[in-house]
Amino acid sequence: MIDTLPANLHLGFLTVFAEPNGFMGGYLVTNSWGRPLEFRLSTAVQPNKVQQILYGGTLTEYLSADLIGRTLVEKTSTPAHLLVTDTLNVLPVRSRVEVPVIATVPDSQLPPSSGDRSLATFSHPRSSIPLTLDLKWAGDEELVRAILDRVDAALDLAEPFARIREAMGEARKMGVTNRAA
Amino acid sequence: MRLDEPGEPGALATGVTRDEIELRSPTLPARQSWGDITVEPLDINVLFGITGLPRFEVSLTPNVREARLLNDAPWVRGVGPLEMRVQTEGWKFPAPPIDLPPRPPEARPAAIEGDVPVPVLPDENVPVNRPPKVRPKPTAETVLFKDRLLYLLQPPIDHLIGTKTVEVPFQPFPYQLEGIAFLMPRHSALLADEMGLGKTAQAILAIRLLIQAGMVRRVLIVCPKPLVYNWGRELKLWAADLPYEVFAGDLQLRRATWHISNCPVKLINYELLTRDAEFLNDARASYDLVVLDEAQRIKNHDSKTAEVVRSIKRSRSWAMTGTPIENRHDDLINIFEFVDPGRIPRDTPAKRLPALTGDCILRRTKDEVQSDMPAKTIRDLPLELTPPQREAYDLAEKEGVVRLNALGETISVQHVFQLVMRLKQICNFDPVTGSSAKLEQLLADMEEVAANGRKAIIFSQWVEPLEVIAKALADFNPLQFHGKIPTNQRPAIIDQFKADPTKHVILMSYGTGSVGLNLQFTNYVFLFDRWWNPAIEDQAINRAHRVGQKHPVTVTRFLTENTIEKRIAEVLEAKRKVFNDLLEQNGPPPVLGLTEDDIFGLFDIRNRPKKTHADAAVTIPFPAMTKAA
Repeated sequence: MIDTLPANLHLGFLTVFAEPNGFMGGYLVTNSWGRPLEFRLSTAVQPNKVQQILYGGTLTEYLSADLIGRTLVEKTSTPAHLLVTDTLNVLPVRSRVEVPVIATVPDSQLPPSSGDRSLATFSHPRSSIPLTLDLKWAGDEELVRAILDRVDAALDLAEPFARIREAMGEARKMGVTNRAA
Repeated sequence: MRLDEPGEPGALATGVTRDEIELRSPTLPARQSWGDITVEPLDINVLFGITGLPRFEVSLTPNVREARLLNDAPWVRGVGPLEMRVQTEGWKFPAPPIDLPPRPPEARPAAIEGDVPVPVLPDENVPVNRPPKVRPKPTAETVLFKDRLLYLLQPPIDHLIGTKTVEVPFQPFPYQLEGIAFLMPRHSALLADEMGLGKTAQAILAIRLLIQAGMVRRVLIVCPKPLVYNWGRELKLWAADLPYEVFAGDLQLRRATWHISNCPVKLINYELLTRDAEFLNDARASYDLVVLDEAQRIKNHDSKTAEVVRSIKRSRSWAMTGTPIENRHDDLINIFEFVDPGRIPRDTPAKRLPALTGDCILRRTKDEVQSDMPAKTIRDLPLELTPPQREAYDLAEKEGVVRLNALGETISVQHVFQLVMRLKQICNFDPVTGSSAKLEQLLADMEEVAANGRKAIIFSQWVEPLEVIAKALADFNPLQFHGKIPTNQRPAIIDQFKADPTKHVILMSYGTGSVGLNLQFTNYVFLFDRWWNPAIEDQAINRAHRVGQKHPVTVTRFLTENTIEKRIAEVLEAKRKVFNDLLEQNGPPPVLGLTEDDIFGLFDIRNRPKKTHADAAVTIPFPAMTKAA
């Protein structure tokens, strides 16, 4: 897998967060130095009472990873070689896509490892925040490191999320999120 | 347990007998008792195979209407969809014409068995914790969401520049990064930083980032002829990965450069552009971005140059000048005819200009952005004319004023101007003996400059005095850079001045040397005589006092006492105070150079020329006053 990595790597930055209108997602694909190639955002998803009861404790994870995250990645035509998220709830999207997924989450926000989710953290010069990997996919770490070694030193993996949120704020101001709905 | 008789509570209304439904308890668990409570085991065994049920006389048919009644509120409340759905919308961004070569993978040391694992260290010189500081923001004129997205999603400029992605010789100053962020999203921009703050570098880096982002593919840079070489050098310095082409050669060659070449950046001088005006009619001669350096060259609306520049087909128009207003506020209006045609009506009063242009103009002064820059000391050096000079001067002025008064109403400003020029020349050198108070002082000053291993620039309005000075300063190995030096020899002269430690002085005319040159390795500037406009003088001084200067710069302005020079300096000094308000909220002053009234005011002349109302509005009608030698 490492040997087959292309010369021009693409990185996907995926974020899903809750806001008053519901859960929204944004996905930015960049080249290896952070130049934007494609951007996609989702409509806001507001689960109703029955859905909240039905999905229970798995609701947030389902919305973040299965529904919004997966849809954004699958609908985007520019494939990414590595998915980076700033939300732990998006990590399970790894089981739906064929690329490794890592999260940039500060140590203070990491939950203690539990039986159903074990996380491993590691650091890399390309990220100012420690990187988190789902231990179910621990085998991805070598590939992730190989990809990150090829990423330009100018890029900090934690930085593009600020751009995504700003773009999503702009979309909200201009009513684009309503149009997508 | 037995089934009760029909009619009793719990009996089946259909008349089922105990023969047809039997409740049996073949293997009942034992009865259990807790004190007074006894629990009987319960076992209900329904025997299916019921027969003998009575039939309805009329068969029942499911009725849709009744079913709907059951579903209607308030009988049944809908629970809503159980499945969740999401919709998405996406945007793809343009690819750059030249994609950067991918960076080679970092070599990772092979792990040695039994060795202590080495922690991964951050790259040297790459502070990963830097917060994003400078990013291009979409302007109010960027209306399409996709266009706004493109700027919002660009990586921070300060993260890119100085890394392997955008290699630069040295890190730009923060204000320069802000200048790049200002230029990038703008289709109409005027970068009016004070001379010496690195406008060229800002423009080149902005072009480079736009091309890398795929937002711009074809760029035309227009600059004065003497600056073409300088632009080429700056392009190599700040954008080594960006190919550029200079318009040159015969007509056929230039036609090919206009219409066939697909080089992303092309460089042309104003004179050649004017000559190639016919090529601009072709649709192939269109550009995503046109950059106009020293944009004051188009301040005269009706000039051929301005007309040709405005005719270039383009999407983005950037102008660069440290003196957007050299004489009158109309200068700025005419520059905006290129920057954003139609934005400012021709007769707009000066007071309205800031409101109309504010979003498109970025101007910073050295005082604002470079508090740590070495100081610039202006030294006004009053000199007494030598006796032969004084004698010649007094005679020339006396006779000149008499002649002017004798002209009566036929007097014109040209007549007065001729006298001014004559007197200024005498202030430099006595026409008979060649004696010069200025030259004597200059020789003394140059001794000190050379003794300290420093370099100096000497400016004059005329070429002839420069040639005389060159002979007098032979010990300091002077170089000359003025209109008499062929253009193709000029870059080598600058390089020689920079590299050769024995060349202590360069002699320049205001017209040739005052714009675009980077001479920050010199620490002394001598204004042998004064120019008519403080803006031009500032340009000359700022050849030395600019970004990269490491030592204080001393500017010496020679002024001969009790002469026309002193009087002109006083007028200009008063105007310079007004000049400092340039582009500030109160608007620019109406005229910065000498007006006709100023010229007449230099002498005790009773008469004034007859002029119409239209003439009154025209100032500085002399080509020699606006065009440097």
